[in-house]
Amino acid sequence: MAIREHVRLSGWRTAALLAPATLWFLIMLIMPLIVILIFSFGERAAVGGYGGGFTFEQYANLPARLKAFQNTLTYAPLGTLMSLVVAYPLAYFLALKVDRRFKLFLLVLVVVPFWTSLLIRTYAWIYILGGRGIPAILEWVGIEGVRLINTPTAVLIGIVYGYLPLMVFPIYVSLEKLDKRLLEASSDLGGSPVKTFLQITLPLSMPGIATGCMLVFILLMGEFLIPAFLGGGKVFFIGNAMVDLFLQSRNWPFGSAVAVSLVVIMLITVSIYMRLAMRNKTGADQSLM
Amino acid sequence: MRIYATVVYLFLYIPIGLIVLFSFNAGRHASELRGLSIQWYGKALSNPFVGDAFFTSLEIACIVAILSSLMGTAAALALQRMSGPLRILLDGLIYISIMIPGIVIGIATLVALVTVFDFLNPLLASLWPQGYTPPKLHMGYASVIAAHTLFTMSLVIIMVRARIAGMDRTLIEASMDLYASPWRTFYQVTLPQIYPAILAGFLLSFTFSFDDFIISFFVAGPNTTLPVYIFASIRRGITPEVNAIGTMVLVGSLSLLIIAQFFMRGDRRRARVS
Repeated sequence: MAIREHVRLSGWRTAALLAPATLWFLIMLIMPLIVILIFSFGERAAVGGYGGGFTFEQYANLPARLKAFQNTLTYAPLGTLMSLVVAYPLAYFLALKVDRRFKLFLLVLVVVPFWTSLLIRTYAWIYILGGRGIPAILEWVGIEGVRLINTPTAVLIGIVYGYLPLMVFPIYVSLEKLDKRLLEASSDLGGSPVKTFLQITLPLSMPGIATGCMLVFILLMGEFLIPAFLGGGKVFFIGNAMVDLFLQSRNWPFGSAVAVSLVVIMLITVSIYMRLAMRNKTGADQSLM
Repeated sequence: MRIYATVVYLFLYIPIGLIVLFSFNAGRHASELRGLSIQWYGKALSNPFVGDAFFTSLEIACIVAILSSLMGTAAALALQRMSGPLRILLDGLIYISIMIPGIVIGIATLVALVTVFDFLNPLLASLWPQGYTPPKLHMGYASVIAAHTLFTMSLVIIMVRARIAGMDRTLIEASMDLYASPWRTFYQVTLPQIYPAILAGFLLSFTFSFDDFIISFFVAGPNTTLPVYIFASIRRGITPEVNAIGTMVLVGSLSLLIIAQFFMRGDRRRARVS
């Protein structure tokens, strides 16, 4: 009797502990997602907003925003790849080459920018890439007519700059954990540095690469600020199209269809990615956190 | 290798350095440096819109941090003793809330809440006793806090749960065996072990909420948070005033980071002594 009493009490306690979080998920996550799902099958009201009805028209209309989808699906993977290429040597340097005394300091220096506003860090690039920044310097050197701002290059620079710390950190962690004796063994056995890197270091740092790429890719799929500031309406992502649809043209049903498609694309790509990482056994446990 | 690292560090810090440098610009135009002055800091500090936006952001970030560390810790404690379909469902919701882009959360929340409010407001008005003005639900503080908390609460749950997983469970059993009440066990055994994770979650939630632009942009209604104000000013054209605000925000976040570091180091040292 006493034991059963205890179990029931602890059941109540568990429920009470979970109640606020569950309520939050219901009202702030499930309800909004259901609402945009319903809206995406509706018609636009004459004054904007949602006008009821049931139609697949919004989804049929998606090709009207094809450019935004193409851009996102091009520059999100490309940006992820570029961040990886820039981040890997730095992570390698920090994990394996730096003197112990400076390690923590150098590591903190990488992370600090990430904990300050992306908004502020991104707008600095408007200066640097704008007419009076790098193009002016190039003109002074003799190279004329270079335009950087509002080009894909500017957006990619912004992406690498914004998300570099997020890529460096997981790779650093996996390289740091690596057993250094393996590297010594490889070189003792006559493996060239390149061979050691390709056969030992790189495969063992795969979990870090997988985690970093996943984090950056997910954030890039929903990016709005970087294309808005550095793409100037020429290079726009799905996020920019959504802001335009909801706030400017007030076409809620179409905007909802775009939002639903973005979420579906993300779920598909992330699950494919996870499956690949799972198959590649080393990546499995880490990329799932 | 070392040269490469130096170049990357320059790449990371030159833009930040430029913002700081240009905030001391004496000239009116953002892109030409004409002597140094601190006049823009005076302008920014005496601008009532900046002050309002700052305090709005600060208030929201504090409430978000408190709410998400309380609810997140509670949920993490409950989840660790659960299994079965409900557990899988909640785990799924936690990951979805972290994975879905902020822009989708912002838009979906805006659309859903506006629709619900449009439905509830007339209902409230009809139910309210005659002669009193009925309350009117609208977007504002509460909606920003609620939307931020969704994300940050999930972060806290994950962080605290990781800490609980690494905890020594025999201590809790010992405490129970010695007839300590569950509350006392929590307060004297569990809490001291998980509080670094709660503190880290609190600070992360605060920073996220204070820096968030995209969610607030949609759900803030008439209230302007600092990032939303900065975004609007940049849209109007960058002035040295924006740079001065940006520099102050950078210095603020940096000091918070240093304080957090200080706390954790103190904690680690105490752990080593005991």
